[in-house]
Amino acid sequence: MLNRHPLRSTRLHFTWVGGLLRRRTGRLAATAVGVALAVALLASLGSFLSASKATMTRRAIDTIAVDWQVEAQPGADPAAFTAVVGAAPHVVASEAVLFATTTGFESSKSGTTRTTGAGRVLGVGDSYRSAFPGQLRDLAGEPNGVLLYQQTAANLGAVPGDTISIGRDGLSPVTVIVSGIVDLPQSDSLFQTVGAPVGAQPQAPPDNVLIVPASMWHEFFDPLVALRPDLAHTQVHIRLDHHLSGDPAAAYSQITGQARNLEVKLAGTGLVGDNLGATLASARSDALYAQTLFLFLGVPGAVLAGLLTAAVAASGRDRRRREQALLRTRGATTRQLVGLAVSEALTVGAVGSMLGLGLALVVGQLAFGTTSFGATTGAAIGWSGAAVLAGLVIAAASIALPARRDAREVTVAAARQIVGRAANPRFMRWGLDFILLGLSIVVFWLTSRNGYQLVLAIEGVPSISVSYWAFAGPALLWAGAGLLSYRLTNLLVSRGRRLLGTITRPLTGALSDTVAASMQRQRRLIARGATLIALTVGFAVSTAVFNATYRQQAEVDAVLSNGADVTVTTSPGATVAPTSPMATIIGATGGIAHVEPIQHRFAYVGADLQDLFGVRASSIVAAGRLQNGYFQGGTAGQLMATLGAKPDSLLVSAETVHDFQLVPGDAITLRLQDGVTKQYIDVPFHYIGVAKEFPTAPRDSFLIANADYVAAKTGSDTVGAFLIDTGGNNVLGIARSLRQQLGTTATVTDIAESRKVVGSSLTAVDLGGLTQVELGFALALAAAATGLTLWLGLNERRRTFAIATALGASRRQLGGFVWSEAGVVTVAGLATGMVTSWALSVMLVKVLHGVFDPAPESLAVPWLYLTVVVSSAVVSTVIAGAATIRSARTPNIELLRTS
Amino acid sequence: MIEDFVVRAQGVARTFGHGPAAVVAVHGVSCALRAGEQVALVGASGSGKTTLLHLLAGLDRPTVGVVDWPSLGHIEHLRPGPIAVVFQGQSLLPPLDAVENVELPLLLQGVDRHTARSAAVAALQRLGLENVASKLPEELSGGQSQRVAIARVLAGKPRLILADEPTGQLDHPSATRVIDALIESASAIGAALIVNTHDSAISDRFPFRWSMAGGRLLQEVATPC
Repeated sequence: MLNRHPLRSTRLHFTWVGGLLRRRTGRLAATAVGVALAVALLASLGSFLSASKATMTRRAIDTIAVDWQVEAQPGADPAAFTAVVGAAPHVVASEAVLFATTTGFESSKSGTTRTTGAGRVLGVGDSYRSAFPGQLRDLAGEPNGVLLYQQTAANLGAVPGDTISIGRDGLSPVTVIVSGIVDLPQSDSLFQTVGAPVGAQPQAPPDNVLIVPASMWHEFFDPLVALRPDLAHTQVHIRLDHHLSGDPAAAYSQITGQARNLEVKLAGTGLVGDNLGATLASARSDALYAQTLFLFLGVPGAVLAGLLTAAVAASGRDRRRREQALLRTRGATTRQLVGLAVSEALTVGAVGSMLGLGLALVVGQLAFGTTSFGATTGAAIGWSGAAVLAGLVIAAASIALPARRDAREVTVAAARQIVGRAANPRFMRWGLDFILLGLSIVVFWLTSRNGYQLVLAIEGVPSISVSYWAFAGPALLWAGAGLLSYRLTNLLVSRGRRLLGTITRPLTGALSDTVAASMQRQRRLIARGATLIALTVGFAVSTAVFNATYRQQAEVDAVLSNGADVTVTTSPGATVAPTSPMATIIGATGGIAHVEPIQHRFAYVGADLQDLFGVRASSIVAAGRLQNGYFQGGTAGQLMATLGAKPDSLLVSAETVHDFQLVPGDAITLRLQDGVTKQYIDVPFHYIGVAKEFPTAPRDSFLIANADYVAAKTGSDTVGAFLIDTGGNNVLGIARSLRQQLGTTATVTDIAESRKVVGSSLTAVDLGGLTQVELGFALALAAAATGLTLWLGLNERRRTFAIATALGASRRQLGGFVWSEAGVVTVAGLATGMVTSWALSVMLVKVLHGVFDPAPESLAVPWLYLTVVVSSAVVSTVIAGAATIRSARTPNIELLRTS
Repeated sequence: MIEDFVVRAQGVARTFGHGPAAVVAVHGVSCALRAGEQVALVGASGSGKTTLLHLLAGLDRPTVGVVDWPSLGHIEHLRPGPIAVVFQGQSLLPPLDAVENVELPLLLQGVDRHTARSAAVAALQRLGLENVASKLPEELSGGQSQRVAIARVLAGKPRLILADEPTGQLDHPSATRVIDALIESASAIGAALIVNTHDSAISDRFPFRWSMAGGRLLQEVATPC
């Protein structure tokens, strides 16, 4: 009878654990490795998530030109208003900006007069540009003085040095000399309607804008204000102290609170246009997306590591059962048996957790150069603690729970069973796999009904929500597919004995039927191994496909924004022909694979002025890396072919199609500026399809036409931009060289710069870093799932192999048994895993639709990673098989003595 | 004639471990056995019986001395084939049913499947086990398992049978049936037989008895050595 004295009982536990550590080192170590992987993955991803969230605010607000635009309300005392705003807490810089509405601009040059519609004239102080450097971007001429917006310059055909007149309602026009041409990168927020109700349609910025010194503005418009105060208003632009919470949600609350506080202080004399708050509102969605990505990508990894641990522990279950049976015959109670299992679980959990934390430190150091993944010490410790807790739970669930069940339910006789003719698992009889897959499809369908809106961040509402329900779709699919792979493998091995015999004959020779029979009887073991591999491969590959698709779309977005590897944009008003000296300079620059000129004009569609791009139909598809998803009404190739064959073809925006009720083939007349007379002339086109996206095009409405046709009709083949394909090589070097050669005659942008801007939203999540950690662990899990479980499964049957060797089995014959089983497990696991990963990838990309911009046309398959995963699985299999054969090649006397 | 011996040990010793922890399991044993001879190897637990049996079966190599099989050939070609071993305890391969276990050594020898199956069925019939042919080892009683293991040995018609405590875990009636089967079958095929046992009721049934103590072989009764 085992002693039940508490102290001796404690000693018993130590003795038992000590014995396990000495005698069952391999099994314990393998189980600890499973725990370690789970702990390392959770600690790494958790710390990384904390670090990402902590830097999201900074990343998000880096590109904001003006934090607040505080607009004085009618009747406000300008001086008092400016004083209150300037004295508000956290204000670092404040500048008054004066807005006036003009009836239009006019320029006269070479006997030709051009006029524009109504516009705005802004008055800014001398220090405005230094206080808010991101608001204006110089394109030509002087940086100070009278600055003309580039679109207005194009409308007027004005260049620096030209004189233009400014219309004033009810007053005579005034004239100014243009000092420079500028772009207004954030014109949308600059001309926002401050105080517009939440959810109101954003107002399009004006096409015609002039910026003048404040003194000049007062000179021109103070008389107008006296007559028509409704045509002018004042804003104070604010730059705030950016020492905000790293978490965008917290920073959002902080900033919106400050904005409301200021509005209260202004007592109705001013409203705050909160650009910073609006950006943070978007960033808090990103933060939540980061969290959802963590859940989507991190939790399955931890679950998988847990399953791996359970599988490893289960591979020693028969032995544990026999040990329990032996202890029972020595008088051990159920409680004592469970207690010993808990001691084993605690030991494995503790050792695995320590290993896992060590691994996380190494991963952090290697991947990010910091052991804490950039997280604060508190966050890193918090996540480590949570990961250790998870490790202990996994160990307990893998070791103690099955031991408890065995101790309570399994008889001594049953504990002797090794193979058994037991019925199929309950889940198979219940059809649980089919139920889960069906539920997955239903949940996916329900999720799709709200357009896969995973994160719901309502403008102006502090709270933000995530549809965690959407997680159920992929999770159910993953679990269902795992169980289905068990069913299929089980079916193959149990019913396909003859087939397996035939397939394995090259390895097994005359033993083929015996080997097939052996596999048939061990179908549960084989199916379990294949399932684990399928789940791991499904996880690893779908994660990799998701990441690759994300990178692909980020690149597409960067190309869309920049147009090409390098883009040379000509100055507004400049006449640059496709064969101009500028084109010659570009063509002569080394390292360039292709140069594609595209025209950029402005055309009137009815009363709307839209961007028009004239393209070379024969080469733009490849040069602009056009995706089919950019268009409706045909593929990119088909529509461009039509554009080439029928030169008067025109692609328009969906909004234009809707507004003008167009159907393909309809005639459209655009008003385009004549290259010679500079007057707008009617040019007939035929609508052929919808363009949703186009390189360098704005997000809203634009038009695409045949460049030759536009040139013929307007008498001008002036190029708006040159798209330069560098073949991906030396982008920065070529861009630098072109900037040096072209000087101020053109603007040179490169895709690297564009990537930074595009990435500012979801790079807040920094998927690149997540990918490194994620894919590394997925690979380790794939290798461990195949190698470790296979080796342990084979290792548990060492005595069987020892007997076979003692009976005279040659190494080759033994190999027939081992390689056939290993091959079936690995091939079945990989095959079902690949199918699972394809389905999971499709669903993941759909469910996480919100992180893609633009939506992917097709999945990106990371073939290299896929090859590495499959190779590592195969190599692990080979190592496990070879180790088994090696250990069994000579009769193991010790094993033969034991029964 | 030396060539008549199916197995011969000359000055054989087997030491496990090194240095002060080394254990000498078998010490200076010399013996030999001819075809058809049957010997009971007796001795207390830890006397070195199993180690000697493993050495004579070629499953282990002596630290000192020589074991050879003059009338059979080189050990590399003797298993599966002329030498067959009945192991202590459960020795059937769990995933194979009884008939598959019995035919396995024949298949390992390269015998075609049909012939191997016929021989296996015949061996099971000889031991009265035809009704358990399709049962898995875990579905058999201890006595049935051991008799299937004997059938596995006999199916290959070996020249030397070595049985290590074949009845160690069986009750007396089962043990008797197993030993009867072993002795009768060995006689039927003319094989030499060595059975390890510490049960005098079993050893008394053998014409020769080798006794071991402290790793040494004591000749208590007439032996062929």
